[in-house]
Amino acid sequence: MNGSDAVPNPVAGPVAGPVAEIRGLVKEHGQGQGRVRAVDDVDLEVPRGQTLAVMGPSGCGKSTLLHLLGGLERPTRGEVWLAGRRVDTLSERALARLRRRSVGFVFQAFHLMEELTAAENVELPVLLAGRSPREARRRASLLLERVGLAARARHLPSRLSGGQRQRVAIARALANEPPIVLADEPTGNLDTAATLDVLRIFEDLRTAGQTLVIVTHDERVAATADRLVSMRDGMFVDDTRLTGSSSRGLGGLIEWES
Amino acid sequence: MGSFVLVVRLVLADVRRHRAQAAMLLLAVTVATATMALGLSLRGVSEALYEQTRAATAGPDVVALSGDTGPAVTSALASLADDPEVIAHHGPYRIVYADLTTHGSGRSPAVASGVVVHGFAETPGTVNRPLVTSGGWVRPGGAVVERGFAEALGIGVGDRVTIAGRSYLVVGIAVTAATSIYPWAAQIGPYGGPSDSSGLVWLTRSDARTLAGRDLPVTTAMDLKLRDPAAAEAFVEAFSDAHRDPAARVNLHTWQFMATQDTVILRNSQPILVVGSWLLGFLAVTGVAALAAGRAVEQTRRAGLLKAVGATPGLIATVLVTEYLALALVGDAVGLAIARLTVPGIASPTASRIGDAAGPGGATVAAATVLAVTVAVLSTLRPALRAMRTATVTALAAAAHQPRHRPLLTALSALLPTPLLLGLRLTARRPGRAVLQACSTATTVIATVALLTVYSQKERGYGLNGSSVLPNLRGELDRRLMLAVTILLIALAVVNTVTLTWTTAMEARANMAVARTLGATPGQIAAGLSAAQVLPALLGAMAGVPLGIGVCGLFSARNTIMPPVSWMLAAALVTLLVTAAFTALPARLAARRPVARALSAEAA
Ligand SMILES: Nc1ncnc2c1ncn2[C@@H]1O[C@H](COP(=O)(O)OP(=O)(O)OP(=O)(O)O)[C@@H](O)[C@H]1O
Ligand SMILES: [Mg+2]
Repeated sequence: MNGSDAVPNPVAGPVAGPVAEIRGLVKEHGQGQGRVRAVDDVDLEVPRGQTLAVMGPSGCGKSTLLHLLGGLERPTRGEVWLAGRRVDTLSERALARLRRRSVGFVFQAFHLMEELTAAENVELPVLLAGRSPREARRRASLLLERVGLAARARHLPSRLSGGQRQRVAIARALANEPPIVLADEPTGNLDTAATLDVLRIFEDLRTAGQTLVIVTHDERVAATADRLVSMRDGMFVDDTRLTGSSSRGLGGLIEWES
Repeated sequence: MGSFVLVVRLVLADVRRHRAQAAMLLLAVTVATATMALGLSLRGVSEALYEQTRAATAGPDVVALSGDTGPAVTSALASLADDPEVIAHHGPYRIVYADLTTHGSGRSPAVASGVVVHGFAETPGTVNRPLVTSGGWVRPGGAVVERGFAEALGIGVGDRVTIAGRSYLVVGIAVTAATSIYPWAAQIGPYGGPSDSSGLVWLTRSDARTLAGRDLPVTTAMDLKLRDPAAAEAFVEAFSDAHRDPAARVNLHTWQFMATQDTVILRNSQPILVVGSWLLGFLAVTGVAALAAGRAVEQTRRAGLLKAVGATPGLIATVLVTEYLALALVGDAVGLAIARLTVPGIASPTASRIGDAAGPGGATVAAATVLAVTVAVLSTLRPALRAMRTATVTALAAAAHQPRHRPLLTALSALLPTPLLLGLRLTARRPGRAVLQACSTATTVIATVALLTVYSQKERGYGLNGSSVLPNLRGELDRRLMLAVTILLIALAVVNTVTLTWTTAMEARANMAVARTLGATPGQIAAGLSAAQVLPALLGAMAGVPLGIGVCGLFSARNTIMPPVSWMLAAALVTLLVTAAFTALPARLAARRPVARALSAEAA
């Protein structure tokens, strides 16, 4: 809408301040009698390198918050900033371009392209970003290696287990090295072993300084974060720093399992 | 570069995943474009063949024919030959009307036919030099048979024929541009009267004179070459104005007139093919649209997914449209190639002409391509727009669209037996699909009525004294083409019915599963799914009969015989029964899917 396609991509240069920021954010669904205020006047800053967990009862607005943050939905009121750039005013096209490079999504339902192989799924955002097919192949094999699926690169999603699919989805989210990764209940459909695989990857990402926002119902997942925000009825009711939690959380968990 | 690779990759992946659908789109477009290209290619093809025969045989610009005899005719023809506009002539020569009988052999029985015998010099002149296609030219006792005639009689060089009781050896086969194609070789009848169907045979002048001596009717003919062939019509008019002698009536036929005569043989072929291609195109849109609609939910999810990873709405539309467009264009190319290969066979049912029928020209290629693109665009427009417009989050969670509630129909159907009840509710769920099924059935019935009409015409064959031993090429061609078009239409309609039933079944599987948990048997479910197609098909079949009569009336001659109404009603009934039979298989397959799987599939 403001023709900001021409603005240099935020990934290109180092950005001071928070990677993501929201101010006075309100999102209402529906109209008239059936109107629901899913997010109710929320402020939030996510500093670079932080792993933020968002918890709360079903229907409290966690997914909506994540969608707003990643530009999948537009707020009713308020501002959303991503990597130093205001995104709530962007056109649909500009938002799509922004998502390519600045946001990686991980969904509970994986949302892989069923007709593409694991590697092709990971290459998807790279090609969308206009990079060469060779570069896309290089990155896909690197990332699949990183999530431990190098051997499954040519498999279709239907031939992968739930945990493997989610790891492909994470590799896809990382394909363009986005400044922020948004995960909506990434372990919601997984059993304990697969959950542990995913948690290990998140732990690696945290160590590597990746900014990460994870919406979850799972205490074990939340325990690996640097910070925990609790939501209720579209509002934040608690914001806690979990110092040194990750080693304790994941380490403890693994011991516990084995 | 990256996004180009991406579009290609996504399109290929989708085609690979939905091979049957791709094949169906390809088939539908191929059939429709081939038929259309064929129909359009026939335009002007007879004239082109005449043109080529005329060039190869030094065809006359004007043929003068007179059934009268005496000095008046001689002087009229002499004045024609002396006309300053005439630069060369051939004749006058005799045309003798006689009967011809073949002797028959193992493979072809003896047949009799009317014949016109042209008495020609043993060395041809400069105008009207028949092109010998096998054997040699006339010699005493040796006859040359016109190729179209020879083919109809089933004879060749070395056979013997009896003309007016005398036996001749066939020494050659030839073609000429100076007469109409077989069986209209006699341009005028005996004594200047109406002509009957007959073939053409050349004999030497003296053999023709001997033949004429047996009291057979004779016409005198002369072939003229004009200085300005294009002005043949004007020449004929000027001559007719100057010579109004009732004792010497001279008919002048221009080469343009003879060329137009040739087109009669293809007169019905073009409408059969062109109207057929419209109907085929319509069925193609119907079938592909049904398939596309059946995949709309999946496509919307796919679009949402692509949007989530950063694809712009434009790119998503490109992917959707490229796939259908690419397939349609491939189908178009295949269709045009098929048309190119079949044109010669259809364009020239007669052997009286030589030359090649040109393949589809620029305009035909353009028209067929427009048809293909229209099929692709019409069938994807709605899903593409929907996929583009749906918000990303909604698209990711996409479920089948919620049909409107129709309380009256629901109340009404509650009084009916279970399968009919399920069928009515399914039909009401998707009224658009019911309309498609009705149209598809109506199209089939229209084609069947047209086929019955073509087949109920009294087909007069050719032979002597009303016998029909010799084939009627035009009638045979019409029947063959109509049969081919109808078979293609029925094939597409069958594919449509199966597609529509399967799509309905897949969409309704959750509801059907719930119905099963409430105690409906698989048989009742299958019958319900069938009923959902057969009910609209019933309306389509009923509408098809009057529509078919209307379409036939639009394109046929006034003396066309319509088939009995009972036949047409029977055709509608058979169409309906066949539709019911073809819905049974997908319906049974769908009804047998385990309930639990259907329920959980919907939840995912
Ligand atoms: N498209 C929509 N239309 C109407 N209401 C919606 C829509 N999406 C979400 N809501 C409502 O907004 C509120 C917040 O929904 P949201 O999906 O963000 O919750 P959530 O915290 O993610 O829940 P869960 O843990 O079950 O995933 C809910 O009351 C929900 O019903
Ligand atoms: Mg949620």
